[in-house]
Amino acid sequence: MSEQPPHSEREIAELIRAIDVPAPEALHRRIDALIAEHEQRGWRHSFLTRRAAPLRFGLAAALALGVIAAALVVGLSGGSSALTLHTAVALTLRPPTTAAPALNPHNRTELATNVEGVAFPYWDDRFGWRSTGARSDRADGHAVETVFYARGHDQWIGYAIVAGKAPMLSGGVVEQRGGTTYRFVSEDGARVVTWLRDGHLCVVSGHGVTDATLMALASWHSRGMLSS
Amino acid sequence: MRTLDPQSLSKHVDRLYRAAWALCGSREDAEDLVQETFARVLSRPRVLQGDDELYYLMRVLRNTFLTSLRTASRRPVTAAAIEDVVAADPRPTNRPEQAYEAQELYATIAQLPDNFRLAIVAVDVLGLSYREAARALRVREATLTTRLFRARKEVAERFNPNEPKSQSSDGKARAPAESYRVKEHHE
Repeated sequence: MSEQPPHSEREIAELIRAIDVPAPEALHRRIDALIAEHEQRGWRHSFLTRRAAPLRFGLAAALALGVIAAALVVGLSGGSSALTLHTAVALTLRPPTTAAPALNPHNRTELATNVEGVAFPYWDDRFGWRSTGARSDRADGHAVETVFYARGHDQWIGYAIVAGKAPMLSGGVVEQRGGTTYRFVSEDGARVVTWLRDGHLCVVSGHGVTDATLMALASWHSRGMLSS
Repeated sequence: MRTLDPQSLSKHVDRLYRAAWALCGSREDAEDLVQETFARVLSRPRVLQGDDELYYLMRVLRNTFLTSLRTASRRPVTAAAIEDVVAADPRPTNRPEQAYEAQELYATIAQLPDNFRLAIVAVDVLGLSYREAARALRVREATLTTRLFRARKEVAERFNPNEPKSQSSDGKARAPAESYRVKEHHE
């Protein structure tokens, strides 16, 4: 703020009007993706999608973006894997089969379950996302562990970590943070972010959450205690 | 009357973002709000009565914001330590001093009561005329003018806490919260 504080209503108005801070590039990209999706699908699809969705903050964005996949497919290639992102995401959208893992007593930023040393985060204290269940699967030769989280009654997240060497990723809406590349896509009506942690493919799909929330959760690491 | 052209929306992102920031007081919440606003606008055909899309976007932003407030009030409040959450965009502007000003100003605006907040956002942040702002907020122009005046006055008072507060008819200083209860024009 300038040294002399504004005194009059007029000065306040002028000060406010002088601000022209731009929106973050990531937001521009997301809005452009929304418009591109709309151009591709037209009003009718979006309208039906919208009417089918509960009116809650964030979900409309997720569903409206849910059909971008054709334009923003994240490609998996290379490595020894035939695992597709579609398969990994599908696992995060299935119901849990076991109870939620407990908090790691030695590290309060992690749950007491991991995939080859890559632990699932504990978000309850920090973000209010509690773990609600888990499942273990095997897909295309890879063990896949998934932990499910919920916040309130209308927000769910499935967080999958894939064992073994991660495939190469390409495509999607890319965001860089802390030296890590995060790729956002839509799959089966959910928003999905995927990235690598210690060489392992991580997939987080969200219902009722926006990209900004997914990004904050995916990129969270408590002062390096949780590897990312 | 004409149908809103989706391709023309992207030019409004910056202004909508600033408006959302001033409403929410947080850049991350502002991003969510803007994204949700555009998703709503694009969910079905929109017929505009005038030429200005911005007024229409303000209306949707207002509705989305109020919906989010109602939703948030039903959700348990949880806090994240600021040092644990990476900023939404580490490079919000090429002018850091202005980002700081914006942060301080918008945080102050975000503390105002909803009606005052919406008025100052519509006119001063978004740049709508009084008439457009009144239409977007569904109030009479006189109501908007009153709210805007009080909103600016309140912001000024918060920046100058040692200056005398607004005076009541009996000459006694009013606390800011009390001054909100002065009778307004009703729509």
